[in-house]
Amino acid sequence: MSADVLCSVRNLIVEYSTRAGAVRAVDNVSLDIRRGEILGLVGESGCGKSTLGKALMRLHTGAARITQGELWFDGRDLMKLSEREMPDVRGAEIGMVFQDPMTSLNPVQRIMDHLTETMRTHEPEVSEAAARGRANELVERLGIRRERLHEYPHQMSGGMRQRVMISLALALRAKLVIADEPTTSLDVIVEAKFLDLLKELQKEFGLTILLITHNIGVVAEVADRVAVMYAAKMAEVGDVREVFADPKHPYTQGLLRSVPNIALDGAELYKMEGAPPNLLHPPVGCRFAPRCPHVMDVCRRQEPSFDPVGEGDHLAACWLFNEAAVAREKSHA
Amino acid sequence: MTMMKEELPEAAEATEVWATELERVGFVRRMFLARRWYGADWWFVAISTVMVLGFIFVALFPGLLAPFSPNELVGSRLLAPGAQPAVPVLIVPAESPLNELVDLAAPAGAPRPAVGVVQGLPTGAALNERAKLLDDEIKSAPEGLRLRPRINRYATTEEALRAVADGTDMAAVIESTEWAAGMSEQFPTLRQGGSITGEVSTAGGFVLGTNDIGQDVFSRLLWGTRVALIIGFSSSIVALVLGVPLGLLAGFVGGALDRLLSLVMDSLYAFPGLILAIAITAVLGPSMFNVIVAIAVLYVPTYYRIVRGQTLSVKEEVYVEAAKSIGARQSEILQKYIFPNVIPSVAIIFSVNVADAILTGAGLSFLGLGLPPTIADWGIDLARGQRFIQVAWWMITYPGLAIIAVVLAFSMMGEGLTEIFNPRLRER
Repeated sequence: MSADVLCSVRNLIVEYSTRAGAVRAVDNVSLDIRRGEILGLVGESGCGKSTLGKALMRLHTGAARITQGELWFDGRDLMKLSEREMPDVRGAEIGMVFQDPMTSLNPVQRIMDHLTETMRTHEPEVSEAAARGRANELVERLGIRRERLHEYPHQMSGGMRQRVMISLALALRAKLVIADEPTTSLDVIVEAKFLDLLKELQKEFGLTILLITHNIGVVAEVADRVAVMYAAKMAEVGDVREVFADPKHPYTQGLLRSVPNIALDGAELYKMEGAPPNLLHPPVGCRFAPRCPHVMDVCRRQEPSFDPVGEGDHLAACWLFNEAAVAREKSHA
Repeated sequence: MTMMKEELPEAAEATEVWATELERVGFVRRMFLARRWYGADWWFVAISTVMVLGFIFVALFPGLLAPFSPNELVGSRLLAPGAQPAVPVLIVPAESPLNELVDLAAPAGAPRPAVGVVQGLPTGAALNERAKLLDDEIKSAPEGLRLRPRINRYATTEEALRAVADGTDMAAVIESTEWAAGMSEQFPTLRQGGSITGEVSTAGGFVLGTNDIGQDVFSRLLWGTRVALIIGFSSSIVALVLGVPLGLLAGFVGGALDRLLSLVMDSLYAFPGLILAIAITAVLGPSMFNVIVAIAVLYVPTYYRIVRGQTLSVKEEVYVEAAKSIGARQSEILQKYIFPNVIPSVAIIFSVNVADAILTGAGLSFLGLGLPPTIADWGIDLARGQRFIQVAWWMITYPGLAIIAVVLAFSMMGEGLTEIFNPRLRER
């Protein structure tokens, strides 16, 4: 399992300091991203999935801070790099596509300059002309006409800008692309095209993609594996088909049941009871316990560990799969 | 049935045609198409640009346009705009060979020529003075001529002229304005000779009149443009050069540096502008350089605050985070992402600032604190004109209008150009 892992997050904690106190947006999360896969990271708003994505590049500034953990990327621990060394990793090895394509490009810079500058930042020996040539090839591959490279971001549509963002990641052959809700602000048709493109590029360039989204459908469509986050914790990780066919964590089960479905045929859509906990004062024990339909005593007392469940690399953090705990619960009852 | 082709509507493009062509045209065309493209009123920009360019031209070459040097005493005091300066001139019989005062010179023994003047007017004194001067010049010459006219004083101009007409006097000295105002018709047998002081009456008089010491208001106005623009531009540039980097640094770095700089800038900003400038010039003393320093200090906080605020907001933009995510370094982010996005607001303040600095500069000179009085400056002219406002409205009005025009032109052009050259405003 270790050889094909590109990026490995170990016990990562990211804290936001607020007036009310420190909030752990990512709490003791471990995650492996394998070389060449598309890993979907799902969860509801505020569960810490974007924070985790940014933490992979150590992009946090200001109130957010990584307080603990290891970030192994391609054989080295990014946490050990200094702030001066990080820019060499960013862009060159890990690229990022942001949620809102309307604001993620510099409004006063032409698209061409975005691309050539990215290349020349990391490879100063590349001539301006060579960089332009590469930019031309790249955007043509992404379905943008060469002429449009000389335009400003505002002259392009959302879908095009998102393709430009991808091309920025591809320009340097980044090994890992973190796509933070890349299709959220696109309409359905553009979204479908963009996802197709993402899959094609992944095959063609051997990209590894971390696809952060709250859209289960998108994950089902393109991801190889899926990771589910709940209230700053990792709830479940596994192969997409397996997790969707046989979700282990009650939160994943609820999440999958609450996806609108044509087969529903007018019946009421499943609604999970309650709301996610306040991360300033997270509940003791399992964070999903207050909303869990299968809650046990142990869930309210002790936090479950993140253990293999079922076949393969299917992992979940739930007491239901700890036989000893379940047995103890039954004996109590 | 053949008409069906090409009827399909074009696919909804994100960009309109004009936007893609935007970069392919020149400056002049952009100006003229501005209205269609940006919704900006191009004439607004055009008029103000012409005005600003005009002012700059005048400031560069005031000597080409100004009829006189600004400090030269060129005519009578307090002449109204267009008025003919009153020059004492010789009036002689039409057929007389006399023309200049020196023509009245006669051999030492001959009777002294009689010349009439009007009692109580400065013409008599002028005649006396000039005659003595000329006499001193010619008496040492070998011809032995003397110029010692016998001066007859009359109660009115008419009497003096009648004396010339009937041959009692050889000539009369009156003010040229009087001769022009009706006397020439009344005495057709007389004609106007030369001016006795050598002063020439200008064809159109002085376009904007003269001031209390006989300087040409128009010439001073033109030369004052240079002073106004020098003060406006230099102090704004100095303020910009200091304020912008400080603002960028404070906004970008934040923390203790930001707090310290903001404290200093805010305390400067808390002073009422003109009072601070007065205090600084009062300490430094009157000179052009000191005025520029005083005004620059005044406007550094303006740049600082705007740039710092903009930097703070731009810093949080996704594209700055995106820049970090592609590995751009701090210095690069500051240069290529934050600075260009902050500059449009600096451009706006700059033009407004130039206008404001001109106003403040004029205010300082008006109070007598700014420039040494030998410099032709609108503020000084305003202050001087204020004392004569009841007798010479032109002394204070024209410098005032000039200040208004310059301030308007700079503000208008600044706003118009920002609209045209800011790519972020093109989205409309």
